[in-house]
This record gives sequence, structure tokens and C-alpha cells, in this order.
Amino acid sequence: MERSTLMRLGVIIVTAAIAVTMAACSQFEPRDKRFYYRALWNFALREDLAELDSEFNGVDFGHSNLYENLLLTGGKNVPAIEETARKQTLAFIATKPRLNPNEEAIAPTYMKLAWRAQNTFDEAHALHRATYDIVVSDEPDKDRAIRNVLNYYQESVYAITAKRLDHHRLDTFPYSKAFRNRFPLFNATIWSYHYLQVAVYDSLQAAPDLAAKTQAVRPILTTYRGYLAKPPVQWTFMPLTAELSPAFAARYPELANIFDNLHMLHDNISDILTSELLPTWDEKRAEIYRLVNTYYLASADATNPMIVRSQPEREHHH
Amino acid sequence: MRTIQVCIIALLALSPAPALSLDHDNLDPNRPIGMEDAYAIPKGEIGMEGGVRFNDRREGRTRVTFQPQIIYGAFDNTQIEIQGDLFTDPKSLVGASKSGDLHLGVLYNFNTETLNLPAMAVRVEADLPTGMNSKGVDTQLTGILTRSFGRLRVHLNAGYSLLGSPQGQERPGAYRAVAAVSYPLGYPTSFRDTLIASVYTRQSDLRGQRNNTGIEIGIRHQLTSRVVLDGGLGTEFVGPSDRAALLGTVGVSVGF
Repeated sequence: MERSTLMRLGVIIVTAAIAVTMAACSQFEPRDKRFYYRALWNFALREDLAELDSEFNGVDFGHSNLYENLLLTGGKNVPAIEETARKQTLAFIATKPRLNPNEEAIAPTYMKLAWRAQNTFDEAHALHRATYDIVVSDEPDKDRAIRNVLNYYQESVYAITAKRLDHHRLDTFPYSKAFRNRFPLFNATIWSYHYLQVAVYDSLQAAPDLAAKTQAVRPILTTYRGYLAKPPVQWTFMPLTAELSPAFAARYPELANIFDNLHMLHDNISDILTSELLPTWDEKRAEIYRLVNTYYLASADATNPMIVRSQPEREHHH
Repeated sequence: MRTIQVCIIALLALSPAPALSLDHDNLDPNRPIGMEDAYAIPKGEIGMEGGVRFNDRREGRTRVTFQPQIIYGAFDNTQIEIQGDLFTDPKSLVGASKSGDLHLGVLYNFNTETLNLPAMAVRVEADLPTGMNSKGVDTQLTGILTRSFGRLRVHLNAGYSLLGSPQGQERPGAYRAVAAVSYPLGYPTSFRDTLIASVYTRQSDLRGQRNNTGIEIGIRHQLTSRVVLDGGLGTEFVGPSDRAALLGTVGVSVGF
């Protein structure tokens, strides 16, 4: 058998195996990782305001660690979530990590269950990071930089809608509130992360230079660390950008909407992973993908019933 | 010992100031061992990689390879690569890899891993005969699978190389198979290191000889947001008389 024949045979076998596998499996989905928007201000937060950056690295751990543990325990084991997983998260945050963690190593099972949702998170988190970098950097035209990075984000098929969604309606599915009712401490810890993520924008923007920015975030970090030590279980809804950084939300309403929608999606997925109404992993995956595709991705804007068409009302829950 | 010193000095010379990140958990061939996972680098990312590999052979002189490479996430789930390995003692080389050959490669990842399916990829490569004593275009096709079990990831690579113009006793074609595992070290407090180990077998470069069969172990360390360092060791326990007694690699990857 000559080598050209061998080569042809190999190609045929590989192609056939792939085709059969693809046809046989409904879970075939692309990875679609995209690099972050490349700019001179990349990693400005990490390099210039490491104290805040390390807290965000801890936040990355928290979400993934929660999802993995909810999935593996069936959302039923209160000590496993409220004590073990939550304390693992606090321990990781206490290490003041200089780099964001590898989330696929934290939540290998969840990543296999709902990669499409995770990629949606990853791209929105990259947008979050980019906006911090821009605000902290010495970029002279921050508005233009933010427009550019928002445009880059919105080119992605994984972009979350920049329209304001009805978060209260998104919190009324049959399984909604399952997570916060069963795991109030970890839920309040998650909401504390979201507090930190949106509360710093106005303080960072108002401060004229790096020294002032460093000082400006200190009280927010103190409050945040207080929340980690004593989770604010009295809160009735997640923190919203317009509530905690009204100037940022007024100036960049699309960003504020994306971040609030992102945080709402986090809450929805926590509920889905907790609820017995969706008892199997297949059902949980199907519901996560239904929510993402129908209510959260920008590609659904034309038909999304959760988009709020009226003017926003200022909400105060915290 | 002298060889190791040369390798370390060369690595330091190659290292840029800490700046940007290839993900240390995304495994590429030779960084640091001869295996890879089924994932391409993210679309839009550019990676510059460099390494020094020494092969202390049971017969013949120790061979050192310098491995500069550029990889680019050109399209969705697709990376392209340009590489040009430079060997010491280039006239003694046999097989597909010749010193100075321009190596072009494309890796296409078909899918992400799900609960039911492993991640799958295919790699197509061509070595252009720009190197010393090189004739003909050599090609290679490799299939790659990655499957995780908890945090442990298992990788299978199986490929076939065709020499465009085999010389003397060189095989016109040869297969290669690798089974590897990778594991992130440090959970739940650190996520900067990935341990990798592999066992491989490949047909010998010359006809009539036994397969080169060996093991390798390596580590990838995320130094900064953009820089990954790697190092690996290996040995071949079966194969021709000039098979490797000790293989070693040190390298650096910079993503931006």
C-alpha cells in the first residue's frame, strides 16, 4: 500500500469518525474562545491598582466554585455550599491572587455542562475587566476607548444584550429564588461580589489620578470585606449599577445594562443548579441554554419579551 | 551539565520582560513535551514561543534544538503556526525534521468538551525544504482528543508523517501516537501550574529499526498575565541505538 493510499484512507477514517460523532450527539458545540480587545491599557488595573484587581480575581473563583459544587451536590447539601464551598472561596480571596484563576480547573464539570453560558460569562467578564483598565489607565480619550471595547464586545455572538431587562420578571421563573432561599449566606456573598464590581466605577471615574483612585476605592473595599465577613442576608435583590454608580450608568447605559443583565444571569443559573424542579443535568443544561438564547443574548433582541421599553425607575435595595 | 547550562542561558536570553498570556492550561506541542490538547488559542491572540531542547543520545553527540515559533488564532477555533527549528550538528539529522526547515501548521478544534463528548481537533502540517540537506515537502496529519475526568485531563494524539523526498534509508512515512495526562496543581488556592506527563511511540526515522518509545513529564507555569514558562524531561526506553537517554526542554510563551 503506497503512502498516498494510506493518506487517503486516514483522511476518510478521520472524517467518517467525526461525521458519525457529530450526527450522533446533540451536545456537539463549538468552543469559540475569543481574545480580549488588544490595547495599550490592557492590564492597567493589575499593574496600577493591584489591591482591587486581586479582589476581582477572587470573585472569578467564587462563581465557578459555586456552580461546580451546586452541580456535584445536586443543590441539596447546605453545609457543602454554605460552609465548605463558601469558605474555600473566602480562603482563595484571602490569598490575594495576582492572576485570575483558571476557571476550567475550578469547575470542570460545570464547563462541560454549559460551555455556551460560560463563554457568555467569559466575554462579559472580559468587558468588565476592560472597562476597569480604561478607567484606571492614563488613556486620554476614555469615552472613545470604552466605545471601541463595547463595539468589539457586541461583535460577538455571545454578547449579552445592552437593553435594559426586566430583572424582577426574570426572577419569577418557577425555580427562581431557590438558591437564595436555601443558601442565603453564599447568595449574599455573590451579591457582595456584584456590589464590588459595580460600586467602584463612580469612585474610580471621579478620582483625577492614580493616587486618588487608590484612595477612592479603599472605603468600598472595606465595605466589601465587611460583607464577606458578614454577608448581607437582609438584601432582597442583587445590586444594580445605576444604584451604586449612577454617574457611570448615566454616561454608559449600555454597559450598565450589560453588567446588570450578566449578574441577573448568574442568579438565574444559581437557581437552576439548585432547584429540584429541574432534577437532571440534561434538564438544567436545556433550561440554562433556553434562558441564555431567549432572554440574554443580544441576538434575541428582536423577540426578547424581557426588554423594558419604558424609562428606568431608580431602585434602592441596599 | 554543560548542555543544561547552555539551555538555561539561552532561555534567559529569550525571556522578555514580563508583560502578557497564553493560557498555561492550553497545551501546545513541545511546550514543554511532545503532545498537545485539542484546543486552539483564542481567536485574535498572537503567541510568540521559544524553547531550547536537548537530546542526550545513547550513541552520538548531544543534540540541541532551538524552537522559535509564532502562533496566531486566525479564525474561530483555528490557530496557525510558523516555526523554524534550528539544530546543532545539522548534517547528521535524518527523518522529517531538518535544521532550518520552515514549518507551517494549522490546528482546527471541532468542538469543546461536553458531558458526552471529548474535545476533538485535527492538525495539518507541512515542512518546507528550506533547511540543510532537506528535500521535498514533508506533511503530517494528526488527530487529537481531549477528555477530562474531574480536573485530570487525558489527551490522545495520533499522527502520520509523509516525507516528500526520503533519502537513503529514511522511511517514506511514519506514524506517531501519544497518550498524555495533564493536571492543574494547587487547587483550591493556586492556579498557576499545570503538570503534564506522556508516553509515546513513533516509527523510527530509518527503516528496519524499532519504534522510538519513551515517556516525558513537564510543567507549565503562568508567570504573569501574558507569560508562561515551561520545562520538561524525558527518556526513550525502546528504540534505535541512538535513541534519547535524556530529553530536556525549557521554554517561554508570550501572548499578546
